[in-house]
Amino acid sequence: MPLQVEIVTPDRRAYQGAADGVTLPTALGEVGILPGHIPLTAVIAAGEVAVTLGGKVTRLAVDQGFVRVVGDKVSVVTEAALDVAKIDLAAAEQAEARARQALEEAKGSRDPDPEGLLRLEQQLRFAAIQRMAKGRSSSSAD
Amino acid sequence: MPKGLREIRNRIKSVKSTGQITRAMQLVASSKMKKAQDAAKAGREYAELLGEILDTAAAKAGGLEHPLLTRREVRVRGVLIVTPDKGMCGALNSNLLRAALEIPGAAFVTLGRKGRQSLARAGRTLLADFPVTDKAAFAEVRPAAEFLLKAFLEGKVDTVEVLYAHFKNTLVQAPRLQRLLPADDLVGQARALREKLGLPEPKVEADERDMAFEPSAPEILSRLPALFYKVAVHQAVLEAKASEHSSRMVAMKAATDNSKKIAAALSLEYNKARQAAITQEILELTAGASQA
Repeated sequence: MPLQVEIVTPDRRAYQGAADGVTLPTALGEVGILPGHIPLTAVIAAGEVAVTLGGKVTRLAVDQGFVRVVGDKVSVVTEAALDVAKIDLAAAEQAEARARQALEEAKGSRDPDPEGLLRLEQQLRFAAIQRMAKGRSSSSAD
Repeated sequence: MPKGLREIRNRIKSVKSTGQITRAMQLVASSKMKKAQDAAKAGREYAELLGEILDTAAAKAGGLEHPLLTRREVRVRGVLIVTPDKGMCGALNSNLLRAALEIPGAAFVTLGRKGRQSLARAGRTLLADFPVTDKAAFAEVRPAAEFLLKAFLEGKVDTVEVLYAHFKNTLVQAPRLQRLLPADDLVGQARALREKLGLPEPKVEADERDMAFEPSAPEILSRLPALFYKVAVHQAVLEAKASEHSSRMVAMKAATDNSKKIAAALSLEYNKARQAAITQEILELTAGASQA
């Protein structure tokens, strides 16, 4: 019986479907999940989720979050997720540069707003992850 | 022109221009309502799945002590009240505030200007006040959530509850008080949430094997409840916004309809008065002519 994979973010359901296997970036390194895996709850680090179905691999860039594996059902909750094929590299790079600049300005200011800093750091992290994931998939396609 | 006629005409003018304003407000509210409803619906799945994950983790870890999951004697109830910044939204504000004043032993944190004003006037304990825009982004809600979380951990308040206008549909919104901390009854809370959203019971696959935790169970259980709590607060704020705009749209629609009705009645009165004046004038002329 194949795995059921769902990836949910605060604004949408980013992925849903069956899979033969899935690779998750956890805080302790990559974890591969196959049908029959023992129940698992893990912290997800920002990185790339790879879902394999019938030899085809779907890659998604995800931000930090949590995953639960129970009875061949893999549920990922994360702050942001994006299909690697849909990543616009230029937009991601721009977003990264923008976030980095804003972050430096905010850190240099006398009265930094901690909430704003957290948000900028999240944007920066996710943009960097998108760039890395995209870079990897395009180099493997060559 | 007689004085009565001019008065009626001025009233028609002012009623009509009020109607134009309320119509514009209705249109603005209805477009904001659409966005707020979509945001509230989109956030539900995330909140629910997070709750489920916390649920299974807590059940499988078994007997783990965590301050956010432990019930204690309640002396002060911490209540986060989510209200609109503005009025003109029917009975929404007064219903919310009536519900707020009925809570005994509550210390309030307000999100939204109306709540702050009214509770301060009523002389209730206010711990803090936070602003929130119509967008209600997660980052905007987080300071209020974290303030209450800190107060709870420091023992300043013994519960954290959120009072907001629950969004049932465009026409029906009712105040709802929801306890978020201590989160000792997660299964019950998850079920209440599902009932509220009209979602089916999840098919939890039976799996008797022990659960593995990475990096470790205490690490996960120290992070999950806090995140779940913040997401639940955010979800309540999103719903409150959807309720606010729906309520305002309905109230403004009623006002627009009323202004149309009043303008029609006044026009009738105006025409009658004008006709009476003309008849009077003709009578006077003919009377004058027959005398001559």
